[in-house]
Amino acid sequence: MRSSRIVKEGVQSLGANKLRTFFMMAGTIVGIAALTVIMAMGKGTEQSVMKKVNSFGIKAIMVTAGGGKGFSPPQEGITTLRLEDLEAVRNQVQGIEMLSPGVIKRGSSIKVGTAQTQATVFAVEPDWYDAWEWQITSGDPINAEDMSTMARTCNLGTTLSRTLFGDADPISEYIQIGTTRFLVKGLLESRGTSPSGGDMDNRVLIPLTTGMRRLLNVDYLSYIRVKVKDTKNLVAIGDEIRKILHERHHITPPQEDDFAIVTAADIAKAARGISGTLSILLIALAGLSLIVGGIVLMNILLISVSERVKEIGLRRALGATQSDIFMQFLAESLAITLLGMLFGCLVGWGASLLIGMFAKAPVIISWEPFALAVVFSLMVGLFFGIQPARRAARLKPVETLQ
Amino acid sequence: MIEIKNLEKTYSSGAVATQVLMGVSFKIEAGEYVAIMGTSGTGKSTLMNIIGCLDKPTGGHYTLNGTEVESLDDDALSHLRNHEIGFVFQQFHLLARASALKNVMLPLIYTDEYPEDAEERARQVLSSVGLSDRIGYKPNELSGGQQQRVAIARALVTNPSIILADEPTGNLDRKSGLEVLSIFRHLNGEGRTIIMVTHDEATAGHANRIIQLKDGRVASDQRVSEPQDPQKELEALKAGEDVR
Repeated sequence: MRSSRIVKEGVQSLGANKLRTFFMMAGTIVGIAALTVIMAMGKGTEQSVMKKVNSFGIKAIMVTAGGGKGFSPPQEGITTLRLEDLEAVRNQVQGIEMLSPGVIKRGSSIKVGTAQTQATVFAVEPDWYDAWEWQITSGDPINAEDMSTMARTCNLGTTLSRTLFGDADPISEYIQIGTTRFLVKGLLESRGTSPSGGDMDNRVLIPLTTGMRRLLNVDYLSYIRVKVKDTKNLVAIGDEIRKILHERHHITPPQEDDFAIVTAADIAKAARGISGTLSILLIALAGLSLIVGGIVLMNILLISVSERVKEIGLRRALGATQSDIFMQFLAESLAITLLGMLFGCLVGWGASLLIGMFAKAPVIISWEPFALAVVFSLMVGLFFGIQPARRAARLKPVETLQ
Repeated sequence: MIEIKNLEKTYSSGAVATQVLMGVSFKIEAGEYVAIMGTSGTGKSTLMNIIGCLDKPTGGHYTLNGTEVESLDDDALSHLRNHEIGFVFQQFHLLARASALKNVMLPLIYTDEYPEDAEERARQVLSSVGLSDRIGYKPNELSGGQQQRVAIARALVTNPSIILADEPTGNLDRKSGLEVLSIFRHLNGEGRTIIMVTHDEATAGHANRIIQLKDGRVASDQRVSEPQDPQKELEALKAGEDVR
């Protein structure tokens, strides 16, 4: 085909001056590389955010005893979060699906025979399993009867079970928490590591009543987990709970809270952290280098057109039409940006991998940046190639051959 | 066949209009070997550009092989140049980066139907101008005479009816010039129309007909009773060298 022969003529001229070709490509390379990094980091961040949010619970609000900003595990020994607070929230706030309070005791000594270890005791209500979407894999959960009788029953996390019983089945065995014996009723499914790095399976669940009165002898809660009906209302419900607790605890800001409220939205915000700012910077860099690179490309092409006036005149004399010349120069421009794009993608992928390795930032390499890069580079090549190509095409053969 | 009637060309830049051609008329039959002569400024380059379909007249008529050229648009002119005319320039105008073969194949890029045997054809015309052993050479590896012969091969590759040469020997030494003229003589012998623009009388003397331009008009139009024989001159030149 005639057009393919002409495109070939355009592409071939790239090899004529390699340094110049490189300069014409530089902007595209930087721009596309930045774009690739942004997308790899963006996707990686989004995935890790989703993972954190999911593990927190997308409909969840945590009210924890003890102040402080951000999400931290409940502080022990804070006595201000009470069952009455729980009831107040339950009665006054609309749109709540579930409220699940708990008391936590970290580093409790657990014994079976001569085997001894430390684990976190969670004194919880029977709706804990639904509130945390965390089920048991064998045996029975803690139920209402356990609650009302203050039964000495428990569920084990997998790590704790393995530490105490090895591979043996722990169901119907007894363990000793502190000095109290508990019957193992069930085994929790494994959750692995928490976002903050702790082992979530080194735990034992016991009924809340048993925990508060028999084991720990406390009249306060460590936390209340709230599950809302609609994620839309997360923030509003969080604010409402805060207001109720302020009132009940006689706190007037700027006085410091003796509790903390963290919603899934807060978790997402914290997880995105600086990656948002970094993304904006990189997007600016990508946009800027594509535009500046395009302008450089256009100017070098314009220079190249005036340097190649004789060649253009000759081609016209030999039968090239205006559109042939136009196509040749546009093909050259597009070939430069497409080649620049290929290098840019490679550089971007390499940079993403390095960032993933050394900065420990989550990156995901995917095909989307490549597709976007093709579109962007074609746009740059077209937009900035048209003017030089048109100038070349409009040269009059008579004047150019003199 | 070329027929030119009352051809006029006026260049205007701003308010100033310069008339270069003031009614030129002549007819060139197929198979003729014509030299168009004139000192610089007589409009011979302008005339050559119009004959070569590189430029359009501002008045008069030009018919090329039955086509009314002055009514054609730019694309049609390009097509006509590609098919009907083979250009040979004083400056050779070869692509510096391309080999002799690629240079010769250049006009074929712009043909509507690219011949399957394009490369074979290019090789053939290159060997017909005596350059079969220089096919892969770049222009800067060739002598002036060889470069001009590559340019002639390029003009021939589309098999045009007319060879239009602008001072083809202007940049060559005498021997290379004679070689070029010898090729022209040979091509004319094969029935191809040769039109050569030159200011040099000795060169013009190789044609069968000389059209003399003066001040934008045809001053004289004469048959050459005994055209120069480039072959003989070449031999004479060689003999002279031998004597020395």
